[in-house]
Amino acid sequence: MRQAGAYSGILCGGISGRTGPHSLPLARIKKIMKKSGEDVKMISGEAPIVFSKACELFIEELTRRSWIVAIHGKRRTLHKDDVASAVVATDIFDFLVTLVSHNHGCALNNNANNDGAVMEIQTLQYS
Amino acid sequence: MVDNIGGSGSSNNEGIIKEQDRLLPIANVGRIMKQILPQNAKISKEAKETMQECVSEYISFVTSEASEKCRKERRKTVNGDDICWALATLGFDDYAEGMRRYLQRYRELEVDNNNQERGK
Repeated sequence: MRQAGAYSGILCGGISGRTGPHSLPLARIKKIMKKSGEDVKMISGEAPIVFSKACELFIEELTRRSWIVAIHGKRRTLHKDDVASAVVATDIFDFLVTLVSHNHGCALNNNANNDGAVMEIQTLQYS
Repeated sequence: MVDNIGGSGSSNNEGIIKEQDRLLPIANVGRIMKQILPQNAKISKEAKETMQECVSEYISFVTSEASEKCRKERRKTVNGDDICWALATLGFDDYAEGMRRYLQRYRELEVDNNNQERGK
């Protein structure tokens, strides 16, 4: 009989227990994946599941780093500028730099075109 | 087709729907943020909104890399391994290792579930 271990969360409700086995909605993740480019045609069932975990880790890391900035500013409330500072200070978050500096001026702008351009440059660098 | 349930203007509703479609729910995002912070920490709404945007960008960024790999290898379906590979390639090595184990565990549980179903 397999012991319930670190991943029993998969069956028993994850962190919140309220949103099902994963704390982020898989259908929405899949939608966002599909919007990332023309190339993305078919997505296996497990891909959004991997992302739900990866996004949790991403949110945790960015939040932790942003919190450090807030603490340095002797504040107990996390502000959007703290997030921006954490992004700028972290190499692997380079792909977010344009997004967070863009957000400084305009709140609900649809940055789709700009994001596409940034992503293209990133892809070229890695190919 | 959009059902106007007390809506003021269909074009406005469509705009809002599209906006929400490309972001993960703020409640979920906020909850994950809150859990990693000390009890007395507060999070501004703007910070949560910024995080929403960052996560969507993250998903797009990693997915693009994974789907490019599939295109080069002439495969049509982006799978969990491709995502793990993309995470490692883009500098998220720490996540990649954990994700591979998570994926492995998920696949084992899926097989278990399927076997249990057949056993009934």
